[in-house]
Amino acid sequence: MRAYLAFTKKEFIENLRTYKLLILLAVFLLFGVMSPLVAKLVPEIMQNLGIGGIKITLPEATAMDSWVQFFKNVGQIGLLVLAVVFAGIMSNEFSRGTLVNVLTKGLKRHTVIFSKLTAAALIWTMSYLLCLAVTYGYTVYFWDMGELQHVFLAFFSMWLFGLLLVVLLILGGTLFKTFIGSLLLAGGAVVAMTLLNISPKIQKYNPVTLCGDNTALLTGVKNASDFVPAVIICIALVVVLTTVSVVVFDRKQI
Amino acid sequence: MTDVLTIQNLTKSFGKETVIDGLTFSVPEGSIFGFIGKNGAGKTTTMKMTLGLLAADSGEITVCGERVSFGQTATNRHIGYLLDVPEFYGYMRPKEYLWLCGEITGLENAKIKSRSEELLKLVGLAGINKKIGSFSRGMKQRLGIAQALLNEPKLLICDEPTSALDPVGRKEILEILRQVKDKTTVIFSTHIISDVERICDRIAVLDKGRLALSGTIAELKAKHKSGGFTATFDAGTDKERVLGVLAENHLQPIGVEETEQTIENLFMEVIL
Ligand SMILES: Nc1ncnc2c1ncn2[C@@H]1O[C@H](COP(=O)(O)OP(=O)(O)O)[C@@H](O)[C@H]1O
Ligand SMILES: [Mg+2]
Repeated sequence: MRAYLAFTKKEFIENLRTYKLLILLAVFLLFGVMSPLVAKLVPEIMQNLGIGGIKITLPEATAMDSWVQFFKNVGQIGLLVLAVVFAGIMSNEFSRGTLVNVLTKGLKRHTVIFSKLTAAALIWTMSYLLCLAVTYGYTVYFWDMGELQHVFLAFFSMWLFGLLLVVLLILGGTLFKTFIGSLLLAGGAVVAMTLLNISPKIQKYNPVTLCGDNTALLTGVKNASDFVPAVIICIALVVVLTTVSVVVFDRKQI
Repeated sequence: MTDVLTIQNLTKSFGKETVIDGLTFSVPEGSIFGFIGKNGAGKTTTMKMTLGLLAADSGEITVCGERVSFGQTATNRHIGYLLDVPEFYGYMRPKEYLWLCGEITGLENAKIKSRSEELLKLVGLAGINKKIGSFSRGMKQRLGIAQALLNEPKLLICDEPTSALDPVGRKEILEILRQVKDKTTVIFSTHIISDVERICDRIAVLDKGRLALSGTIAELKAKHKSGGFTATFDAGTDKERVLGVLAENHLQPIGVEETEQTIENLFMEVIL
């Protein structure tokens, strides 16, 4: 337990001093501000501009437009930034050879994985909550929030998918020992899930739904029953893939 | 004398290349053991198997009587390891790093504090508080030794600790190793024979994955006695006079050679 805390602390120091924490917080803060502002301003600008002398009349923006922007930003570029920032989480240790010292000092190999997962998950959670809080603040300031359905499930789903991404990055880094390997495994998995999503029957089981259809859940177009199976499968994947990482890492020659 | 490390019939291949091929030797407690071999002989590979970082194909390794198993290995608690190019978290300071190591290895806080200070002093890094990322090779090597000695290991394994250093750095590292030998058995690998002669009392020579030669320095020298001897005189000595004295006593040298100044000696003179 002491070794776990010590190594987790080391992970935080690393993320702090190599500016990874700062980058993530800044990017997600930016998205937090941008989402409601874009939702608010774009229609107004379009209306005032008028293209080719034709006056465009857009329906006035609502709180939901702000949430559409939020899920789009976080679910696409946000997750991409998360992946790039954490793609080196395992490979950096392999390529620099920094693990040898700590492992020969008696650090259990599974502790390495659990510490890294803990730190990355906490940093992702902080970034995501910051983004959410800022968007929420602007949205209630600009608009009447109205009736939102399945609020917890909609926001939890996106967070859970981000966690799955972190787990995939750790597994990729453990398997291939490289930054690219980590990114390719996570990217490949997302592409594969997206392709599978073409079949409507699979959608409600597919984790990728958790970062794609959240607004449909908020508006009530989709039901909790369309999301819960994917949530369960995603949680199962997080557990299974973490276990696989531990088992693979135990057998790695260093 | 008990053996701290025994290696028996060890083999290891990478793909088709057999790197270690039936290696057997043991290291008695209290020795400074030179593990000699040219580049690529398999020294690092042997050491990493001893630490359970690499899996052996066959054979047995025991440390303090306990068998080493690949992966999770409890025997590492007896060992301090300095790898050939030690790497640290560059964003940490030396004390922070030793603190991390201490917590990982399960030392009490007070102990970590006292050991860290003691060791940083021993390796000449006391009072240095800059980030490890800006350390020179030699400083990293010295921090590596401090890190390896933190948990007072019975066995200190150093992989080519001097190879990458300039003569002054080498001398300092050898001096540190000599100082710790009372408390811990030291194995160090090298291809620099002069380093071995300076501090080792036992050696094993690794060649083609097997043991080519082993024993105490004294034994080996006795066994492989050469016929003659060399006497070296100061630069100021009159050569003709020495030869005259020898001739008067009916001692006829087979050859007379003028000692050349070695660059290493010159370097030392200029630097120190
Ligand atoms: N991970 C590895 N994969 C393949 N070959 C390796 C690996 N590590 C070492 N070797 C090979 O094993 C041989 C011994 O290497 P090593 O133990 O590093 O030698 P030394 O430390 O004596 O210089 C070399 O020929 C090297 O190319
Ligand atoms: Mg080597």
